[in-house]
Amino acid sequence: MGLAVAEVVAGGNRLGRNRARAGILLLVPAVLVVGGFIAVPIGQAIYYSMTNWNGITAQWVGPSTYAALFKNPIFLRVLENNGLLLLSVPVAIGVPLVIASMINEKVWGWRIFRSLIFLPTAISWVVIGIVAVRVFADPGALDSILGAVGLGFLQRDFLSQPGTAILAVGLTFVWSMVGTNTIIFLTGMSTIDPAIYEAAAVDAAGRWAIFAHITIPLLKRYFQFSFVLTIITAFTALFSLIFIMTGGGPNYGTTTLEFFIYLEAFSVGNFGTGAMIGVVLLVILLGVSMIQLWLLRGEH
Amino acid sequence: MSARSQGTRLARQAGPEASGVGYPGPPSRFSRFIRELRADPARGAIFLFLVAVTFVMLYPFYFMVRNSLMSSQQYVVGHGFSTSSWSQLFSALPVLRELGNSTLIAFFAILIILFCSTTAGFAFAKLAFRGRGIVFIAVIGCMMIPVQSIIVPEYVNLSHFGLINTYASAILVYGALGTPFATFLMTAYFRGLPDEVVEAALCDGLTYGKAYWRIALPLAKPALVTVIVLQFIQIWDDLLVGLLFLQEPTNRTITVGLAALSSGRVVSIPILMAGAIVSALPAIVVYVVFQRYLITGMTLGINR
Repeated sequence: MGLAVAEVVAGGNRLGRNRARAGILLLVPAVLVVGGFIAVPIGQAIYYSMTNWNGITAQWVGPSTYAALFKNPIFLRVLENNGLLLLSVPVAIGVPLVIASMINEKVWGWRIFRSLIFLPTAISWVVIGIVAVRVFADPGALDSILGAVGLGFLQRDFLSQPGTAILAVGLTFVWSMVGTNTIIFLTGMSTIDPAIYEAAAVDAAGRWAIFAHITIPLLKRYFQFSFVLTIITAFTALFSLIFIMTGGGPNYGTTTLEFFIYLEAFSVGNFGTGAMIGVVLLVILLGVSMIQLWLLRGEH
Repeated sequence: MSARSQGTRLARQAGPEASGVGYPGPPSRFSRFIRELRADPARGAIFLFLVAVTFVMLYPFYFMVRNSLMSSQQYVVGHGFSTSSWSQLFSALPVLRELGNSTLIAFFAILIILFCSTTAGFAFAKLAFRGRGIVFIAVIGCMMIPVQSIIVPEYVNLSHFGLINTYASAILVYGALGTPFATFLMTAYFRGLPDEVVEAALCDGLTYGKAYWRIALPLAKPALVTVIVLQFIQIWDDLLVGLLFLQEPTNRTITVGLAALSSGRVVSIPILMAGAIVSALPAIVVYVVFQRYLITGMTLGINR
């Protein structure tokens, strides 16, 4: 103990060495856990993606496995489903943006609205999926609404056809992103200096002009964050939702990359293919992050 | 016409409150809303819009509660009231056992996450040494790796060690998956602490380890709560890891149990809804109590 004081007073190499030793020691748990359960498996996934692994034995095939994967019509179908989900991303950002700007008007009870709209964020995709199945079934809540507004000819079991099933998954996804994205935009709006709005009011700027020319440009960072988060959620967080709502069907109509990994590895037993799709998914997500970094760089 | 002038007078009476002189309380807030409405009718439309949005967002809760309070026959015809589904739930699903499993797994996984992320965060923020930057990027970079990309080798590795269908497998995997982001959060938090705090502790004769344990950790309480809340909801609500690593009805979590009930061939919707409520309730309680911390944690990534 006395030594430590002397070291601090003296400073120099001894102190630096001690600090380095303490630092390395304190990093050991995190490095072991993250290394053993994330870094090593991702290395294995890359290696085994080029083999015909069945979980026990594996023969080396080489990078040609990837070429074969991209010729597999089911895989292309799955990629297309991811593309279709991507179409819902602007909606999953735009709707919460409107809601956030309405809450930001601070009408009577806005704090309660904020809390209640954020509440579904706490419940699991399994629970959301269980309810969503009954909303999109026939008869279901959506069918009742369609009938009530005179669109009865659209009534159907939405989960029984590939096209409408992916639409149902996408709508449920948009619904469940509302809370998170609304909070992100509200956080952004709270950072905007009220003096700017006051100046706009002095200039008699309308609500829409203020929104389009002041709020939106000042929220740029928050748009980027919400954009990346929404894509990552669409591509990696919908497993439970798909599992409950459709099981990936009908006819692979709602199987996305993350669900295809599960099907290939744990239903069919093609562990190598499962690992390979995992690598493809990771590369896509890294691409999205690169785009974001590049956008941020352009800004500074 | 007279009614309107009366309203204006009411609004004027509420006036002093706004300028900070008069009486506080909810009635004046409401009358301010009425006054604003007169000045700008669009605010009424905004209010109604938010009511509609809130209705859509809360619909699943209404749906679950309403339908859990019916018997299976009543559900088919669409009306009636019965608590029979709630009593049948406990025989259809080992609810208490599964709630216990979820709690136990979340508890130990969060312990792992807290231990790894606070030690590493303290080292990254306060203990300079060569190569620290690279280790930081490597650990934080693992945040980008989705669980699906590692799940296949993970499963094979854990079954190699005979850990499938043990609590340990789920605890270790959840612990590892939560650590990178928690480390990121703790590093950011410890960077916000002045270096003098640690230096003062060293001057008082504490070692680095004790400075971490006795000084830095107690100061990090708000960040610890944020990590606990975020991870609890994440682990409680997860399906994939539990589905693969806990396949026995006796060791599975409530979320996995609910998914199994949902995909069963004979499924009573009211019982399923009762189960859904039970599974959702703990996360909702945590959300309601710790909302502030949840939002802090979620939006932390924006400014970095």
